[in-house]
Amino acid sequence: MDDNNNGLKIYTENLNLFYGDIHALKEVNIEVEEKKVTALIGPSGCGKSTFLKTLNRMNDLIPAVRITGDVYLDSLNVYRQYDIVELRKRIGMVFQKPNPFPMSVYDNIAYGPRIHGVRSKSKLDEIVYRSLTNAALWNEVKDRLRQNALGLSGGQQQRLCIARVLAVEPEVVLMDEPTSALDPISTLKIEDLIDELKGKYTIVIVTHNMQQAGRISDKTAFFLHGEIVEYNDTEKIFSRPNDKRTEDYITGRFG
Amino acid sequence: MTTTRHYFDKELEALHLQLIKMGSLVEESIENTILALKKQDVELARKIFWNDDVIDGMEQKIEKMCLNLIARQQPLAGDLRTISTALKIITDMERIADHSADIAEITIRMANEKYIKPLIDIPRMAELAKQMVNKAIDAFIRQDMGLAREVCRSDDAVDDLFSRIVLELINIVKNDPETIEQVINFMFIAKYLERMADHATNIGEWVVFNVTGEHAHLARHENKDDRINNPFVKNTIGDG
Amino acid sequence: MRVKPQTTDRIATMAIYAVACLVVLLLVFFVGYLLCHGASRLNLHFILSSPVFMKEGGGIGPQLFNSLYLVFLSMLITLPVGLSAGIYMAEYAKPNRLTAAIRFCIEALASLPSIVIGLFGLLVFVNLTGWSYTLIGGALAVSILNLPVITRISEDAIRSVPPSIKEASLALGATRWQTIVKVIIPSAVPGLVTGAVIASGRVFGEAAALLYTAGMSSPNLNFSNLNPFSASSPLNPFRPAETLAVYIWQVNSEGLAPDARQIADGASAILIIAVFLFNIGSRLLGRRIKARFAGKESGRRIVKI
Repeated sequence: MDDNNNGLKIYTENLNLFYGDIHALKEVNIEVEEKKVTALIGPSGCGKSTFLKTLNRMNDLIPAVRITGDVYLDSLNVYRQYDIVELRKRIGMVFQKPNPFPMSVYDNIAYGPRIHGVRSKSKLDEIVYRSLTNAALWNEVKDRLRQNALGLSGGQQQRLCIARVLAVEPEVVLMDEPTSALDPISTLKIEDLIDELKGKYTIVIVTHNMQQAGRISDKTAFFLHGEIVEYNDTEKIFSRPNDKRTEDYITGRFG
Repeated sequence: MTTTRHYFDKELEALHLQLIKMGSLVEESIENTILALKKQDVELARKIFWNDDVIDGMEQKIEKMCLNLIARQQPLAGDLRTISTALKIITDMERIADHSADIAEITIRMANEKYIKPLIDIPRMAELAKQMVNKAIDAFIRQDMGLAREVCRSDDAVDDLFSRIVLELINIVKNDPETIEQVINFMFIAKYLERMADHATNIGEWVVFNVTGEHAHLARHENKDDRINNPFVKNTIGDG
Repeated sequence: MRVKPQTTDRIATMAIYAVACLVVLLLVFFVGYLLCHGASRLNLHFILSSPVFMKEGGGIGPQLFNSLYLVFLSMLITLPVGLSAGIYMAEYAKPNRLTAAIRFCIEALASLPSIVIGLFGLLVFVNLTGWSYTLIGGALAVSILNLPVITRISEDAIRSVPPSIKEASLALGATRWQTIVKVIIPSAVPGLVTGAVIASGRVFGEAAALLYTAGMSSPNLNFSNLNPFSASSPLNPFRPAETLAVYIWQVNSEGLAPDARQIADGASAILIIAVFLFNIGSRLLGRRIKARFAGKESGRRIVKI
């Protein structure tokens, strides 16, 4: 299906990003493999969340941002060859703090399909059922689909947000520290979910939690001061990183 | 300037010290064993025998420390390699000390006999084994890969000596069947020494792993085919 | 002597309760007084019949209707314009000098005296257009009064929607406009309802701005004629329309009928009741709209994870 780009779902070339005068991303070149989980780790402010947002052009919302270089999805340029609505349909995003709409559970999930033109009630019902099942949430909410989503617990809300993203059938799911606001059990449930999803979706996840990156990712990129210091198989990064800075970060030795 | 996790660093240091302590106890044990064997010193042999308990105790203590660190500190990368290396080499060190005690036990058994022949090769082999153990432990303390590889290379010499000793002992028995008891004892001693050298080699390999992250088997017997073709009969190393 | 913090705390609490009680009592007294004095006229005949020239027994029917119709018309104008302005200020305006200037204008407009607005209305909606006194003229004048309030309240209500919700919507592939219409405005409904209630309350009570725009007379209205283009239809916006507030003023100052005092009291009481009912009704409507948008509120938090 994607043989023409060697199983590379996303890749960037010389990506630079400026917030006004601040050079936030420096010559980032990375290849994200299809249907794998790629983790982005690094200290606060190193650019990993900023980088994530360049993939679905959420940085366009910030006026002071200037981007040079290229980002490619399936070999097409994200900034020049994609319509932004179409792009965000193919690349979904889950945020750090669960942010369900103040609507019913059903309407939350149906929101995406509705804005993309799905009108038929039976089709929407099916999509809602399928998305909630894929997000391992169906059994918990099937009796309260018409109740306000804000009544769910934090972990459920985050899974709802994941289901909401899945409802538009993306190919890539970006996750920006999805479990940092959740308790350990919710966190593990979502990690299990990510494990299930990775066969169907390409997942890029930003995380502060080293152990989480170790648990769920296939490849890991270490960001520092806006650059990628090292990018390799997770196994390698966590047992024998090449760069001393990576080793220091992973073992928790910050000067 | 203290880095973060300096509490963990302190615990790693404590672990390191315990390993050094155990290492020196093992070296002392080998030293005494060879001495006791040469001098047929039963008292010394007994001391070695009882001291083995101390070394066993240390192995358990260090093992507990390592498991504790893994559970509480979630070590990764270099730290993980260090701790898993520690877990592995205490096993090897404890086996070395066991073999040392085994030799001491045999010494005690042969205490009242005269040796069938003056010991030449066995002390030589023992000396080599002892040096290998010392170097291996040094290599670990100093994280010295070069030293570790030296240890592994020395294993060939020890194996060759072992083959020679065995051939010699077989000849002795063939000439005088009455000597069978002592010959068997000496064969065991030679075997124990050869195993000690193997364990020292293992320690060397783990040191290399700790530094590089690759665990390679470095003690490759050069004349590997000889083992298949029964070295006890065919004499392939110089003259017997 | 040092006063203990607990004592200060207790005194403050009591003082606050006292003030709250005072406010409630004030309202109760005020309303009670009016209702009492107007009690004699709280009947259907008074509410539905027309005023009688110089004679006893007149009612306030047309005036009440005019007030309600005026509120309806002015909301029809103010709400869309104010909401759009609020959306612009909250979502589209960049923080530059132009925006600051716009904001200044809005606030200045809010502080203009209503009689001045009324005179402006006279000049433009009555004379310039040649309409003479009309309901629509009054609605337009009152809209000018209310526009700053609605704009401000809309802007605040929209700003109060968490940016994370907007992000989520955009990340799903919605356009900005879709986000505004489908998520932001519905979320902001409670705030917008409050704004509408405040504004309409003002319209009910406005007299100065309507004196010279909607006028001080009402033609004979045939309530069975529902054609808005016909001259005698009450639904025709291009007719003079004295509102209840203006009528109260007129009755009190001219006082030609012998029961002027009672009429004024009765009208005041009716006006207060109308405002209350409108208030409650709007809130119920707002709650209805919110429930349709937000789904049922779950009774308690579900602890399951």
